[in-house]
Amino acid sequence: MAKLPTPQMLIASRPPFPARDWFDTKPEFIPGSYCYPAKVDTMELLHMPHPHEWDPSGENWNLPEDWEKILCDAFADRLEKHRSLKLFMDICVRCGACADKCQFFLGTNDPKNMPVLRAELLRSLYRRDYTMLGKILGRRVGARSWSMDIVKELFYYAYQCTECRRCSLYCPYGIDTAEITMIVRELLHEVGLGLHWIMDPVKNCSFTGNHLGIQPHSFVEIVEMLADDCETVTGIRPKTPFNKKNAEILFITPSGDVFAEPGIYTFMGYLLLFHELDLDYTFSTYASEGGNFGSFVSFNMAKKLNAKMYAEAERLNVKWILGGECGHMWRVINQYMDTYNGPSPANMTVPVSPVTGTVFDVAKSTKMVHIAEFTADLIYHDKLKLNPKRNANLVTTWHDSCNPARGMGLLEEPRYILRHVCENFVEMPENTIREQTFCCGAGSGLNTEEIMELRMRSGMPRGNALRYVQQKYGVNHMACVCAIDRATLPPLADYWAPGCTISGLHELVGNALVMKGEQPRTMNLRQEDLPEEAMPQEEGETTEGQATEGEGR
Amino acid sequence: MNALVILRDLKKETVDGWVEAVFATYPLETTGFLRTKNNPFTNPVAHMTREAADILFDAIIGEDIETDKVAGAIERFVKLRAVQKGEPSKSLGVLYVMKPILRKTALPAMRKANLLSEYLECESRLDTVALLAFDIYMRARETLAESRIREIKNQYAQLARWAQKLEGSPVPDE
Repeated sequence: MAKLPTPQMLIASRPPFPARDWFDTKPEFIPGSYCYPAKVDTMELLHMPHPHEWDPSGENWNLPEDWEKILCDAFADRLEKHRSLKLFMDICVRCGACADKCQFFLGTNDPKNMPVLRAELLRSLYRRDYTMLGKILGRRVGARSWSMDIVKELFYYAYQCTECRRCSLYCPYGIDTAEITMIVRELLHEVGLGLHWIMDPVKNCSFTGNHLGIQPHSFVEIVEMLADDCETVTGIRPKTPFNKKNAEILFITPSGDVFAEPGIYTFMGYLLLFHELDLDYTFSTYASEGGNFGSFVSFNMAKKLNAKMYAEAERLNVKWILGGECGHMWRVINQYMDTYNGPSPANMTVPVSPVTGTVFDVAKSTKMVHIAEFTADLIYHDKLKLNPKRNANLVTTWHDSCNPARGMGLLEEPRYILRHVCENFVEMPENTIREQTFCCGAGSGLNTEEIMELRMRSGMPRGNALRYVQQKYGVNHMACVCAIDRATLPPLADYWAPGCTISGLHELVGNALVMKGEQPRTMNLRQEDLPEEAMPQEEGETTEGQATEGEGR
Repeated sequence: MNALVILRDLKKETVDGWVEAVFATYPLETTGFLRTKNNPFTNPVAHMTREAADILFDAIIGEDIETDKVAGAIERFVKLRAVQKGEPSKSLGVLYVMKPILRKTALPAMRKANLLSEYLECESRLDTVALLAFDIYMRARETLAESRIREIKNQYAQLARWAQKLEGSPVPDE
């Protein structure tokens, strides 16, 4: 008899009904689906609890002996501290509205990636200790006791959630599953479980300012190199003011834009724009990272890293802060900054655009304005000379980055800018944009290369929508306002929609911006040839100067 | 009777059978969702599977379709399987699950019409599609590996440029 299995046996279709229910199904830690653990010395430097060596795929995670007590106490502490958490634990009616909204669920088809079930992992533990029925009936009412397998399960699924809050949008009770994930991550840190790609940047941001831990003088030199590149393209070398006291504005953006491609071109866009406006602003070498890696760890860590912004605003005596294109930074600013680090220092005032006089009332409390709001206001008041023909080679679409879109409602401003700097703009399908936007699949510290495979699954719904507009409308570009997106969308596009490039919004602004006294431009900020229609004409005349009209919003 | 005429009538039954078999490779709790929602953007896995099933059937029964079109239509599905958990044999093996289904739906009818050799050609064409899928699968895995390398390089791109400019830099100029 032949011993070879049939294809059906190989693919091992599951039995019609699973032998075990979800309580007893254990996650498989196979390479490509989990991140590398944080280093012991990193955790020690940050005074994190119980730093230790461990391997997610190993049997023994070397937790402290009394790990169960630590976790139970920590959970009790969080329930006491956050009334919202207690509410989220109690009120879910399992209506299932969130079940199919998570991109991790859509990509992995793992039921525990349904937000309701991901939350249930913690809720089942809550039920045992905090509900009468759970205490009496236990498992029969969905209560569980802590075990090592459950700790592993919590770790596995807490890092298969990008805290994007797409699920919360559909929850009739407004349960914020992202906050449940945040709490689970906090709890895991109590027993020394953290990720390398999150904790290393946290350490660097804590000690040197930026996420790669580059010393201030080198950071300045790297920014100056970008100013040199601006000069190559435009003939104008923009200013790079650092730690300038009494400047009107402090500008804070993710440091990824200083180091990483294609973020650097967005950074060049900022430099050119501020130079053209002759803005009285400064960078800070200390508050040189807007992206808050602490928010992927714990509320306290987020608070600690976010505090640098006000500390520098006070030290440099600026009036207000302008924030760059970042994702999680804006979630923290918009939702938590006031409670974490407020009120703002006394020297700060309600932000007013020095160019248009617009008072940004929306930022009255935090004193921080998003650059998309700032630039949209400039265009609205016709303060910028723009030549969208320089981006004529692009048929672009817009990716609403989760945190600016869902976390702060920044939906129209970026589109308004995009329409003025690009001639061809196409929206992706309605149920994949704006509040319903799909995540890049790698936010909240999951943008690390070892889980590229997982990222391609979780980013698939976004990649799928991009592929659709690529095939239907010839889209070849996607713009966004998030540094993590700029890092994670290029591989996603290469996989699901090859041929689509990715950029930040202000790279396109920098391209289109017609500056006073600039040389005839032949290159875009990436130093690629401009499209034919934007090339300087032979007799020395250029197509420059076709400023777009300001339109009503 | 012409083989194509017989086979075309069996399309719905066969395609549905295969789609169900693919859905059954996912956990039970998920299958209901895959079955019932039809939006290409909010239920992309089901949409990709159905798109692949449709063209897979047409290709194997011998409809007049260009190879590129077949490859294009199964591409999304194969790429998805290439990043979902599982061995390559499991990922691509689902294509071969078409065989027992065909033997149940098409074989009796073809045998009755004395078209057995035409039936065997169908199975051979399935092998061809599986080979096309193998190419797509490998390209997808290579893209994945390249992306990991490119991402590391991109993360430090500007830093590397800066390091090259330092005096006595050990980093070679590119």
